Formats: sequence, C-alpha cells, structure tokens
Amino acid sequence: MNAPMNPAANLSDDAAFRSEVADWMRTHLSGRFAQLRHRGGPGDEAFEPTLRKDWERELAAGGWTCVGWPRAHGGRELSIARQVIFYEEYARAGGPGRMGHIGEGLIGPTLVKYGNAAQQARFLPAIVAGREYWAQGYSEPNAGSDLANVQTRCTRQADGSWRVTGQKIWTSLAQESDWIFVVARSEPGSKGNKGLSFLLLPLAQSGIQIRPIRQLNGGAEFNEVFFDEAIADSDALVGAPGEGWKIAMALLEIERGVSTLGQQMHFAHEFSCVIAAAKAFGCDRDPSIRDRIARAATGLRTMRYNALRMLAGDALSLGREALIYKYFWSNWHRDLGRLAMDVLGSAGDLPSDDPLIRPLQQLFFFSRADTIYGGTNEIQLNLIAERGLGMPREPRPAA
Amino acid sequence: MDFTFAEQQIAFRDAVRKFLIIEAAPEMLREIWETKSGRSRELRCKLADQGLTAISVPETYGGIGLGDLDWILLQVELGYYAIPDSLSDTAYLASWLLEHLPADLALKREWLPRIAAGTARIAVGHPVNLLVADAELADLILLWHDDEIHGVTASDVKLTPQVSIDASRRLYAIEWSPSARTRLCSAKQGAGLWQQVLNRGALALAAQLLGLAQRMVDLGVDYAAQRKQFGKPVGAFQAVKHQLADVAVKIEFTKPVLFRAAYAVDRDLDDAAIQVSHAKLAAGDAARLAARNALQAHGAMGYTWEADLQMFMKRAWALDAAWGDRGFHKQRVADAIFADGAELGPGSTFN
Repeated sequence: MNAPMNPAANLSDDAAFRSEVADWMRTHLSGRFAQLRHRGGPGDEAFEPTLRKDWERELAAGGWTCVGWPRAHGGRELSIARQVIFYEEYARAGGPGRMGHIGEGLIGPTLVKYGNAAQQARFLPAIVAGREYWAQGYSEPNAGSDLANVQTRCTRQADGSWRVTGQKIWTSLAQESDWIFVVARSEPGSKGNKGLSFLLLPLAQSGIQIRPIRQLNGGAEFNEVFFDEAIADSDALVGAPGEGWKIAMALLEIERGVSTLGQQMHFAHEFSCVIAAAKAFGCDRDPSIRDRIARAATGLRTMRYNALRMLAGDALSLGREALIYKYFWSNWHRDLGRLAMDVLGSAGDLPSDDPLIRPLQQLFFFSRADTIYGGTNEIQLNLIAERGLGMPREPRPAA
Repeated sequence: MDFTFAEQQIAFRDAVRKFLIIEAAPEMLREIWETKSGRSRELRCKLADQGLTAISVPETYGGIGLGDLDWILLQVELGYYAIPDSLSDTAYLASWLLEHLPADLALKREWLPRIAAGTARIAVGHPVNLLVADAELADLILLWHDDEIHGVTASDVKLTPQVSIDASRRLYAIEWSPSARTRLCSAKQGAGLWQQVLNRGALALAAQLLGLAQRMVDLGVDYAAQRKQFGKPVGAFQAVKHQLADVAVKIEFTKPVLFRAAYAVDRDLDDAAIQVSHAKLAAGDAARLAARNALQAHGAMGYTWEADLQMFMKRAWALDAAWGDRGFHKQRVADAIFADGAELGPGSTFN
C-alpha cells in the first residue's frame, strides 16, 4: 500500500471501500455465523468446518472470495491496496479462518499462472463459489525440510490417466477437502528436485486413505494421506512432466503474499487479548511483562510495515523482505504465545472455556509449531543466507 | 559450601534411576494417564519398596530420617521420569510439615509411620496454588487457613476436579469449612511452617524442572541422531545441534543454583527464600528452553501426541507456574534486593 508515501491517492475511494467491507461483515457475520468470530485460525482449524464452508458460500454470494484474482477467472481484480483493506476489515470484524484458503490463496493462483484452459475452467469457478476445497500434498515422512526428497511416485497409463502411490503427511484438513494437489516423482530413478510432476487428484476415491494425526493439544487438523494406485485423470497434470518442482516453488512464493496481511490483523487481535488478560490478571503493572508487551507491540508494527513494503512491488516476487518474513513472524508469534501463558500464570495450566483464557491457551499451543511448519527456522535462515546474502550453500549430497 | 554429594547420596540416586528406567517408561506413563484416578497403586507400592516414601520420616517413626540434600538429586530423577504420582507431596512436603507440627504426638504417630510404609497419600493445600493436587485419593489433606494448619479428609470437603494441560496431574478445587476440630496448629506457629513448606514445594519443582529439561534434551538428541534429511542425521547440522547445546549450558548452570538452594533450605538459612526463587526461575528457564529447542529438533513430530516429547513439555509448562509462577518468584528476589538495609555487594552476595 503506497498511501503513506503518496497520501493524496484515492484516499476517499479507499475509505468508502473500507466501510463497504466493514458494513458487509457486520451484517453477514451474524446470526448463525456469529459463533465463528475469531475462530478457525491456525490451531483451531477443525472448528465447525461445515458451518465455515457455509460461511465461504456466504462470502462468495457477496463477491468476497478471490478478491485479488483476475476478473476473467471470477475474481474482483482488486489492487493490492484494496486487498489489504479487505483483509484488514475481514480480520477486524473477527472473520473466521478461511476454509477456502488453500484453494483461493495457493492452488487457484497457481492454476491461473500455470494451468491450462481446461483446468482453469474446471477448478477455478468452484473455488470462487466456495463449492470445492483443497488440500496441499507436499511433505512426506522423509521429505520435510528436505522437500525435494519426494518419494511418492506417479506413472502415466496408456489412456493418459495417472496412478499415484506413496504417502503425504501434515496435510491440513484433508478430511474436509475435495481435492489435493501433490508433487510426485514421474521419472523413475530421478533424485532431488528433478523428475517431479505436479498433479491434481480427487480425495474421495478408494486409492486414498486419510488418517488424522493427533496433536499434542489433543486436536487433529493434520493428516497422513496414503495413496495406493490412486487415480488422477488425464488432464490432472499442471505444467509439463518434470516441471513439478518449479510449480511447487512458485506456489510457495504465492503463499507468502497478500494473504499474510490478514494474518497480521489476527495477530493484532491476539495481542489485544494478551493485554486484556494482563489487565484482568493484574500483571499489567509487572515491569517484566510490560517490557515484553512493549516489545511485542513494536514487533507487530515492524511486521506490518515490512509486509506493506513487500507488497508495494510485485506481490508474487520473492524479494529479501519476503524472505525474512516467515522467520520474523513465526518467532514473534511463538514468543507472544509464551507471553500469553506467563500472563495467565498458573491459570494457564487449566484448559478453560473462559473467553479471556481459551484463545490464549490455544495461541500458546499452536504457536509452538510456528517455527516448524511452512519451512523451519533453520531452513528460513539458510534461505536468507544463501539466497538473500549469496553465501555458499550448505553441503548437500549429490542429487 | 562444598558442592560434592556424598557417595551414599549418589548411590541412592543411581539406584532410583535404575528403578525408574524400568518402572516409569513412557508407555506405562501414558497408560496410567488414561485411567480415571491417574494414579497407580502398584507404582506407589514399588516406590515404597525402594524406600522413597520413608526418606523424610524420622527413624523413630519407622523412616530413614534424611533431609533436603538427600532429596534434591532424587527430585531431579522424579522430574526426568515424570512419574504420575504425587510422591513428593506426601513423602517430602507433608512428612516434613507433620513432623514439625508443634506437639500433637498422636497425629505424628498415626501418619508418619504410614507415610514411611507407603500406605498413606497426603495432599497439601497452600494458597500459592489455586488448586490442591491429588486431593481426591488423599487419606489426609493439610490445608492453609489464615496461616493456621488444618487437617481434613476428602469426605469432609467438596472437591471439584480440574483438568490440567498436563494429563499426569490431578488437580481439585476445594470447598471446606475450617473448625476447631480440623485445626492442627495456630496461625502464630503455622506462618513459619507454611513459609518453609512453600520453599520446599518450589525447591522440589525446581529440581523436577531440571530433570525434565535434561529429559527433553536427551529426547531431542536421540531424535536428531535418527532423523535424516539431506542425506544425513539432522543433528549433524550446526543449526540443530547448537540449539541443544544451548540447553545443555542452561542445565549445567542451573545445577549449582539448585544445590545451593537445597543447602539453604536444609540449613534453614536466612536467604533460603531468595535461593529457592532463584532456583525455580533458573530451572524454569532451562525447562522452557529445553521444550522449545527439543521441539524444534523434532520438527513437526514434536507437535504430535505420538512423540513422547509432549508428555515432558506439558509437565514442564505446568510445573513452571506451580508453587509460585515466574512473577511470584521474581518478586521475591526483587523484594529482597530492594529491601531497606539489604546486604548487597561482594561481602554478602558471595557468602
């Protein structure tokens, strides 16, 4: 958003748009949807999935899904500035975690860029309408940080369709999704990031088994997904055979784009919950807590300005400011979780439905995983050092 | 002070360690956690057979008559193995409190031999804790009331179970009415005793947190040695191994602080409260860093129910806030430093 550097530009139009979003959210995030406010975020993704899908359709009916997509594919083609406003107002109103995030934020834009016309026509309208939901099939038991070590394999049949065999893991909400995109090895004997292909598969088929993974907090929003000669039809391949890695990486870059701004609004909400609890529990005068709250406040602002700066250019390019973002937010958020528990003191030990306590406990538990999923701290620092600073790569075995 | 432990103390620690390796394996802990009571009579009997219930009880009451310095190494092991049993509450805290009650020999004659024999569970309700641990199974509950000490049984009170993030704990909200019948000790005499119970409660948890920290590092080291990415064990990468080394440093620097606190409590030194608070904070720091870095070393596996790490992390997170949270213990240290006439400087700090 270039408004701070260019204050005269379109301010009144933007303000009108902002109140349009806010009004819509106020009117629609009510009634049966009211219980979704501030719910369904990371660590809470299993909350009321059916109702949250209804909410996606409510958004779709109002034209609020895929707001940044090109008009030709059913989006609103909003400018970055407008998208920011939308995400801000969505989060400010307590808009729930988006069930459609992987479709709208990841595979949709990837298909816009790399999909063929038939794939675009088949999949994009259902994402825009909130009819179909997607899961991401990247990680495997032996391909975590070493993502290129994919062992799931796919073979093309005489009729042009594909058979996929192998295992994916840490697949969010697979049990609630209709489709999964996978990176699989299409060239037998290939290693590393060569010989991979990017395929789209329906999840409801006998060749796919989904098993939930119980998390330390008792919930289960991740899954193992087992493929045994699972079928992908003849038009399931995105890009060319062997281009899987290129497409998979392009998708990850999109992941670090505009949707992160909504995340920051959610962080701002959590931060306000921490302050409210500090006041309620009487530790708002404790100097060590005050110091940590002040640090958290500066961190939140730093993230926001960096994100706006990151989006000021081409939102899909991965500049240095984008490289540092995951590392920064995940550590900040993990610390916020720790701070939340320290604010609660011994009350934090008791799982509670108290609206002052429950969100903070949830924040603490799930933020333990922030520095791991989506690229660990260690991988992020390697990226910053190797790609950002051009330092020599960590020695790796020959691919 | 001499930081060397006696050979006998080391030998006792080693024996208990060998016993717990077998009797408190993670899969057994999980089994016990899943039960309603969360406690195993069999495990308690075995702990008694090892002499663990008799440590603090004076020989005249059928015990071994040992003290805080004998306990401290054992508490570290109880933390390391995260046993689902409130052994320390009964055999360390309640035993000490009962023994030091003024007079009332009948009460001591009734309970101390049972503690030693492992046939009594005693819960302790101190106001620094919101809830009373293990109150439901307790044969006797010792409670604070305006510095008085009261003794009640579970049938005298209303207990409401509260779930902890650590499935190995059994916590209860307690509603009760103090009366002349339940009163064991006046406020005048009770105040000092409660203060000492508080120090011992926090000291015990500091030691357990240290044990937990060591366990989490060990689990992190094991996992990082087994898990391979980029064609080698992830523990070979400095980014991973240095994090576990950081925890090892924290743990080693916590030990002298912990042992000094045990010594101060044992000798009833004036600075016992500060030493204990320092130890609790240091051990809490070590355990928190251990949880964070061992989890990081485990990658996504560390966040699962299946990996054993979660049992020790949750225990550490819960104990960090029990018997005085961080704010409480920092305040005690600050109060001592800022007190009028506080003895600061090399002449007193390094005593």
